[in-house]
Amino acid sequence: MIEFANFYLIPGILLGSIYALGAIGITLTFGILRFANFAHGESMTLGAYISFTLVQMTGLHPLMVMPISMVLTIVVLLFIDRYFYRPFRKSHAIMLVMASFGMMLMIRSVIQFFWGVQVKTILPGIQMPIVFFDTLRLSPKHIMIIISAIVLMLAVHFLLSRTKIGKAMRAMADSPELARLTGIDTEHVIRTTWVVGGALGVASGVFLAIDTHVETMMGFNLLLPMFASAILGGIGRPYGAMAGGLIIGLTEELSSYPWIGTEPLLNPGYKAGIAFIIMVGMLIWRPTGLFKGKV
Amino acid sequence: MKYLAKFSLAAAFSLASMTASAADIKVGSVAGVTGPIAELVAPILAGRNLAAEHVNAQGGLLQGDTMKMVVADSACDPKAGVDAGGKVVNIEQVVAIVGASCSGATNGMVQSVTIPAGVVSVSDSATAPSITDLKDNDLVYRVAPSDSYQGRALASHVLASGIKKVAVTYATDDYNAGLAEVFAREFKNMGGTVTANQAHEPKKASYRGELATLAKGGPEALALFAYYGSSGITIIRNSIENGLFGKFYAADGMFDKSVIEQIGADVLRGNIDISQSSSDYDDVSYKLFAAAISAKGVNPKAPYAAHGYDATFLMALAIEKAGSADRGKIAAALRSVSKGPGEVIRPGEWAKAKKLISEGKDVNYEGATGIVDFDENGDVSGIYGINTIGADGNWQTKLLK
Repeated sequence: MIEFANFYLIPGILLGSIYALGAIGITLTFGILRFANFAHGESMTLGAYISFTLVQMTGLHPLMVMPISMVLTIVVLLFIDRYFYRPFRKSHAIMLVMASFGMMLMIRSVIQFFWGVQVKTILPGIQMPIVFFDTLRLSPKHIMIIISAIVLMLAVHFLLSRTKIGKAMRAMADSPELARLTGIDTEHVIRTTWVVGGALGVASGVFLAIDTHVETMMGFNLLLPMFASAILGGIGRPYGAMAGGLIIGLTEELSSYPWIGTEPLLNPGYKAGIAFIIMVGMLIWRPTGLFKGKV
Repeated sequence: MKYLAKFSLAAAFSLASMTASAADIKVGSVAGVTGPIAELVAPILAGRNLAAEHVNAQGGLLQGDTMKMVVADSACDPKAGVDAGGKVVNIEQVVAIVGASCSGATNGMVQSVTIPAGVVSVSDSATAPSITDLKDNDLVYRVAPSDSYQGRALASHVLASGIKKVAVTYATDDYNAGLAEVFAREFKNMGGTVTANQAHEPKKASYRGELATLAKGGPEALALFAYYGSSGITIIRNSIENGLFGKFYAADGMFDKSVIEQIGADVLRGNIDISQSSSDYDDVSYKLFAAAISAKGVNPKAPYAAHGYDATFLMALAIEKAGSADRGKIAAALRSVSKGPGEVIRPGEWAKAKKLISEGKDVNYEGATGIVDFDENGDVSGIYGINTIGADGNWQTKLLK
């Protein structure tokens, strides 16, 4: 039983938090800017690399330098939005999707150009877990990641429900025309979307880097589960993305627990397929997702 | 008359362009420049380029033409391998290919691009047993020995170090799956016990669940078949942090400095053994290569750097022997320059080889990695070494005899 918590439940929650933070950004861009942002994984990668460099320069803990890398990444994202996505604002959504696909390749190549393609580590060495009650093993970095993720999700909740700009964002996600008619500054809302999505994406990238390592494909590899989380939760629903991320992360990890007998229920080689199956299943039977998102 | 004039003008132009382009003979250099083994590929490319440099410095190919290596990135991925192969074959119009690096990328590239196009390829680091059995019209060669040999060498090394029960895990790609299969079979045949044998999906953030299942049944060590950059390092880290495995056996996909840098030499010392296709370091051919590449600041013992040199040098010999930059003729000439009869050619001896070939004599290349005689499947036999972490925190190689 304790093995279940140590090796399946806690990693599932951890992975789920990382997916959830990334998925919020995807769902917000989809809800407000109306396109599937393929470059989101790359903004996570960029954030992780900037943090890596800051850690190398200052010797501080990655979490300490994270706010600075968030700001720098957001500056890049706003620049990209102004000069690459804004000219497409009035065009068909597929143009934006393609633009973001191109952007994904460009950002990744720039990262590979400046930092190289080598695998890097942000926290080197082995960190032994703290053992509670002789059996429960919790690694300090995992506790830190889960707590930080909860804090960030609460911050998003506060932003969306208590602040004026948050309400404007939700209004625009519900109906852009109506929002414009009521006098909401849509460009301001779009900028805020990049800020929020970018900051959470960087957090997700840095958490992943702390848990594993920094490499140029790290964000892209998370893109599919993050899209699956956003669709599961309901496109355009930030709370849905949080729930979706946690569910996908947990399902992926729990699928290989030996529920019946001693063999894993599902060969772990097929883990990555779980997100796919959930995504396809949801699109067929309940395209609005758990939280009644857009179709 | 007018047509004739136009025709002869066009012919003159094409002739002119032919002589102009004949100054460069393009050979594709397909490698996983990015992706999970990026660090390993840099010295391999250095090996390939050194061979081309030797050729060009000592008279070049055919009529003094330059051997030009056109690099394409196969990213250690079958799909990217197809793209890279298509790029060099169809756009760059190369006469032959050195590469690709990984078995999966090589399988993709040769099956979808180079075999249909009739272009010969020599890989310097694709080791999967499956490449042996390809229906390749005699177009796919490799100077890296098949993992049928490496799996057996590693299995006997594990038993020789006193380990009787291992758990096996492998990443789901051609190279790692093939190697794991051979290893598990040979290990059992030699009297060892495989407590669990499980695939894992590469590029995941965590492998704690998989490892917890693998650790059941009392294995003494983990036989880990993965690329270090896509799952290997994460698996070692997860194993040690969770107290699941402390001792690891791995193959050359894990042989990189970043394993030590990321996990720490002190934690790993005495706990990780990595097999690697190696060279006989006392051999005269190897020493010629080692001196030349060391002068470039590249470690001659870097995995597959010597293979990269041999593959490229063999390709140059095949072009010279073919007598023209014709794809079909090069393919036909490749096997004959790799083995006897004929005068022995060693690394760097391009001028000698060129002279012999121009006199119509046979040559037999004996390279930095061994005698490199292609058999009927286009494979070579190999020598293996075992790497452990030395007192200075670097890999130390010991040859397996």
